[in-house]
Amino acid sequence: MTNKNKKGNGGSGVNGNGGSSKLAKQRSQDSQDYSSFKTVLFYCLLIVFLPVITFFLMKGFVLDRFFSMSEMKVNIASAVGAVVSLHLALGLYIYRAYFGAPGSGSKKLD
Amino acid sequence: MSSEVSSDNPIYGPFFGVMGAASAIIFSALGAAYGTAKSGTGIAAMSVMRPELIMKSIIPVVMAGIIAIYGLVVAVLIAGALEEPSKYTLYKGFIHLGAGLAVGFSGLAAGFAIGIVGDAGVRGTAQQPRLFVGMILILIFAEVLGLYGLIVAIYLYTK
Repeated sequence: MTNKNKKGNGGSGVNGNGGSSKLAKQRSQDSQDYSSFKTVLFYCLLIVFLPVITFFLMKGFVLDRFFSMSEMKVNIASAVGAVVSLHLALGLYIYRAYFGAPGSGSKKLD
Repeated sequence: MSSEVSSDNPIYGPFFGVMGAASAIIFSALGAAYGTAKSGTGIAAMSVMRPELIMKSIIPVVMAGIIAIYGLVVAVLIAGALEEPSKYTLYKGFIHLGAGLAVGFSGLAAGFAIGIVGDAGVRGTAQQPRLFVGMILILIFAEVLGLYGLIVAIYLYTK
């Protein structure tokens, strides 16, 4: 699509200025999309992997630390820890989507 | 081994525990898949006109994914407690089956709710951005249904 724009721009010559501004607009839109994609990907990976890592880390770590705890209690503690960490990550994501999202505010003004 | 099998530890005792672990993840994943697919169609329809809202509209999909993590946690807990029939009473098997069904069906229900609310909410948010707060609140109340199932399942598991 970018290539086609460039071609049309070179052919007409008269509205070359408009074409290049269109191109710049498209480029800025692309970089904006890329940065929002990076944010979403980061939070999604956080939400998927944080609880799993927390579960097994807590299971290994708590089992080592407090050896007097029964196996059942270690399992429960790590399950609760995993769920709590999951909700913390989800809360962060919702906070970021609601208050952060600098792209959406400026886009609407355009 | 067969000599140790009694009426309290029958050979089919672990069957119930295995079914509990399987149903925990199967039904949770079913609900999560429905929630993802249903709200995904809404996001796809909405993003054509308002692509800048993608970050906000992914939230129902993330919440549907969390339902599957509830099921995963319970399934891993139950699978860790499974043992061979001589050490695994029938009572334990029933408890594990109950825990798995509790989180599984709660997750199924929560996933359905998230899917339907997510679809309508995302389409509505594109037209009226102030709907976003309401959509998040409704999604949280749908999500909590799955969390209740998880709490009951963990409580059953400790019996």
